[in-house]
Amino acid sequence: MAFFLQASNWGLQTFLGRCFLFQPASTCQKSLALMVHLRSRDQVKGLPFTTSSQSAVPQDLRGVHMLHKSRSGSRDGEKEKRKESSREEDKKKSLMSPFSAGAAKHRSVRQRTPTSMRLPRLSKKDDIQPPEKPLNAEEWQEWRTRLKHLTNFETVMLRRMIKYESSIDVAKSLMADVVLRNGEVKYNLLLGYLILCVQQKQVAEIFDIYDIIKLRFKTLDPGCYSLLIRGLSDTERWREAILLLKEIRKVTPPSKGNYGYCIKGALNNQDVKLALELYHEMVAENVMPHMDVLQAFFDTCKGTQDDKLKKELLDMLLYFRENQLYPNEAVMQSIKLWFESIPGEKWTGRLTSMENGWGCPVCNQVLETIELSKKEYNILKKKIMKNVMQGNDIFKKTTPQELKRFQDFMENRLPYDIVLDGLNIVRCVSRICGYNVCHPELWHTLCYPTDLSSRSKSELFDVVSYFAQQNLRLLVLGRKHLNEFQFWKWNAMTARQGKVDFFFTENISQDDPFLVYATLHSGNNCKFVTRDLLRDHKACLPESIQQLFFKWQRGHQLMPFASRTKKIYFAPILSYDTVVQTTGDTWHIPYDDHLVERYSYEVPRKWLCLRRK
Amino acid sequence: MSIFNMLLRNVVRRSVFPFAMKERRKNGLFLTSFYKTFPHRTLNLSPCLKDAEPNPSQKLNLDEWKNVMKSRRQEEICEPTSKCEEDSTLTAMREFVEMRRLASRSVPKNVTEEALKTLMELPTKSSRLKYLKFLAEKEKKINARKAKQEKKKQDQEELLGTVEKRDTDELKNTLLRRFNINTMENLHSWRAANAMIFGQPLVFDMVYENCMSRAELGNAVDQMMECEGFNRKSVDPFHLHYCNLSVDGPYHKGFSKRYGEAWDKLLVTVTEQCYTNLFPRDRLIYLTPDSRKIMTTFEHDKIYIIGSLVDKTGQPRSSFAQARRLNLPTAKLPLDKYLRWTSGRKSLTLNQMLCILLTLKETGDWKKALQFVPQRCYDGFVDVDLLSRLNDAKF
Repeated sequence: MAFFLQASNWGLQTFLGRCFLFQPASTCQKSLALMVHLRSRDQVKGLPFTTSSQSAVPQDLRGVHMLHKSRSGSRDGEKEKRKESSREEDKKKSLMSPFSAGAAKHRSVRQRTPTSMRLPRLSKKDDIQPPEKPLNAEEWQEWRTRLKHLTNFETVMLRRMIKYESSIDVAKSLMADVVLRNGEVKYNLLLGYLILCVQQKQVAEIFDIYDIIKLRFKTLDPGCYSLLIRGLSDTERWREAILLLKEIRKVTPPSKGNYGYCIKGALNNQDVKLALELYHEMVAENVMPHMDVLQAFFDTCKGTQDDKLKKELLDMLLYFRENQLYPNEAVMQSIKLWFESIPGEKWTGRLTSMENGWGCPVCNQVLETIELSKKEYNILKKKIMKNVMQGNDIFKKTTPQELKRFQDFMENRLPYDIVLDGLNIVRCVSRICGYNVCHPELWHTLCYPTDLSSRSKSELFDVVSYFAQQNLRLLVLGRKHLNEFQFWKWNAMTARQGKVDFFFTENISQDDPFLVYATLHSGNNCKFVTRDLLRDHKACLPESIQQLFFKWQRGHQLMPFASRTKKIYFAPILSYDTVVQTTGDTWHIPYDDHLVERYSYEVPRKWLCLRRK
Repeated sequence: MSIFNMLLRNVVRRSVFPFAMKERRKNGLFLTSFYKTFPHRTLNLSPCLKDAEPNPSQKLNLDEWKNVMKSRRQEEICEPTSKCEEDSTLTAMREFVEMRRLASRSVPKNVTEEALKTLMELPTKSSRLKYLKFLAEKEKKINARKAKQEKKKQDQEELLGTVEKRDTDELKNTLLRRFNINTMENLHSWRAANAMIFGQPLVFDMVYENCMSRAELGNAVDQMMECEGFNRKSVDPFHLHYCNLSVDGPYHKGFSKRYGEAWDKLLVTVTEQCYTNLFPRDRLIYLTPDSRKIMTTFEHDKIYIIGSLVDKTGQPRSSFAQARRLNLPTAKLPLDKYLRWTSGRKSLTLNQMLCILLTLKETGDWKKALQFVPQRCYDGFVDVDLLSRLNDAKF
């Protein structure tokens, strides 16, 4: 909530700051400061992407009110300072890879995406507070008459009790009342009562209900089985939970929760062998285990001498690697402690972040490269052609003639060094007025006089010439309507240098697949420039290839973005692959910071480095 | 009926039961096995329930009910199936459905063999639950309709009773016999037949039958039937063509199942051929929401093609790809120009498309035609005149 307000606040701030009406360091500045209680980005508490170690200032929400009275007149100096610090911040951000955790959040804030404030949903039913203490039959009767409009009084009542976590005695009195009236309790009421018991971990009650249900019904529904498994797994009757798991399997494959509770139950009772069996079973059924299950494994097996077991746990880490899973902070801690507890092997674990872009600062181990192997490369090429370009109907994205034209075009011109998505660059970069082009690796700055009238044409031109100056072979992809920008003028100019090629698809075709295709076919050194995350194209691929594609994308996509200082940066490309990796004597495990919200198309930034002395 | 019964039961229970209970308690006849009344209260010394007036009988029977439950016999969920050849998986499935019903989830009351087999074929748990839910909803609707019909029947019988009392000997003096449904049907058929000879063709492209799921195909058939009906009843019908309809394909089967005998007497042209073979290419226009060209006026000499595709899974550009494959000009409705669109996809259903086209054909008025776009998708019409005047003022 507070975050949203903050975001909108910066939005306003940057918007006003960028308007021509509000030139910086003018008198407008004062009025702006009067209007909005400004606050720079790095001082906001609890924002997921602050990398600086500055202490956060507790925020007051008065800044939200537009007509907030200013309390002091000396804002200007302060603001200047803040501007400076935010510039620093920008520089730091610009050095962050676009695929590292929190980057998307940062981008969305920079782009001033409006965030809608959600109103709390009003429930249709009036909220009924369940009674506080056990009632007898007459009192329940009173309740019933009071709530005549409910057709299924008991069910609703139980649901309310579950919601408000009433004491178990109240529910008991209700059940007793039901038995007294009808002589029996229906299955769904028993279920409701069971939920309440499981919720409050009333072991004795769970046993009783379990016995009743077993007596009364031959088979149960999967929901009930799941509840019972959850209830029984951390009691002395945990073995029965395992039996229930077998019962579930008759109808549907068990869920990850079912497996998880059983495994935890087995681990709590030191039956590691059974837990491992169950774990292998669920992996074989393609059910992803929950993180806390894995954590339980590492916690339970601390200080183990058993080599076989050790191997199993290391296999679990490799399972992380194969499925591009990343442990969260709690699991990471468990892993670290487990490693350090192995007798006879002196492991030391340190937390770090790979700031230098090539390896681990703690042990100077060079991390695995992000480049794909030859074989993987060929698979990816094939799949891109088959699934993304052609799909189930080639005409959805292009036509065979166009594809042929493109392939003929590429045949003699390969390989390129940079492939640019012309339309994307024109669209994204045109937000900025005057700017310079910067590449963080080179810090090579170019300044152009900005001519406002011809701006829309010049962005792409600038970006292209920036790359052309570095003696790189370029391919610019676009649609035919890009031609309105009088490309022929400078097309002729750059074609003379023989560095830039253009390819225009039909206006009704998609140009992204061509971009990917051209980059892939140019080989490993080719990069592409677009701000598009290519998620829809990634989705066309089968699951296993998606990970390959993502790896390739991380290693080859240059994402331009503009800083507030009117420069264009290209986010750096990390040369290492963010994945669980080992050399035998070292383990490097990326993990999720619990403060940072990581999207599915991002990778963690923090690492656990483990070393054996 | 059942609802009425329940109400009655509740009313009786609420009004009569308390008194009955009191009476019984006085007499001491009330299920004394697990419910005892005590003549006097004892003091409860627990400090946390100070304000609660403790009732020792309560304390006793809090856990008593479980014993009652345990003492009951095991319930037979499934009636013992007489068919021994029914394999165990089907039985397991049946029990699964039954238990879900007991857990008061939405499942149908009666599950047919066929439905169970379909359930078995479904791959995932969620798809099974979805299918069960669908069956439950269907059952509910059918039951509601039946109840309504019953009620109607009763009302009619009452009415008839009053009518019979009237004197029926006297004949009324009327110019015409009462119109019955056949008269209208006849008229519509004449019009449709007329359209078959002289009408403007409208093509439905039935090529998508294999990229639809079973449910989607059923919906598509329903929509096509609506189309045909609406077209027949209009003043100046189109000459409908169902092109690319493979014999004994899914569509054909669906139509024969739904239309029955009437399928062969339908006044539409059904053909396996493609529209490109039937009509000159330069007159064809493919209507697809992914087109870049916006339709401005309805042209009476053109032949419009509608892809008969119900697409719930969201495979965009299917019909667009088809048009591109055949290299046909495309167009889309000017929805954004005339409507302030709020939500929903801009691919309309087949019958909505046909209604819009028919209205355009008769009146040429976009505003009138776009009345058929569902109301939930937009919040009013754009004032086109005002916009054009504004634009004129600008430039």
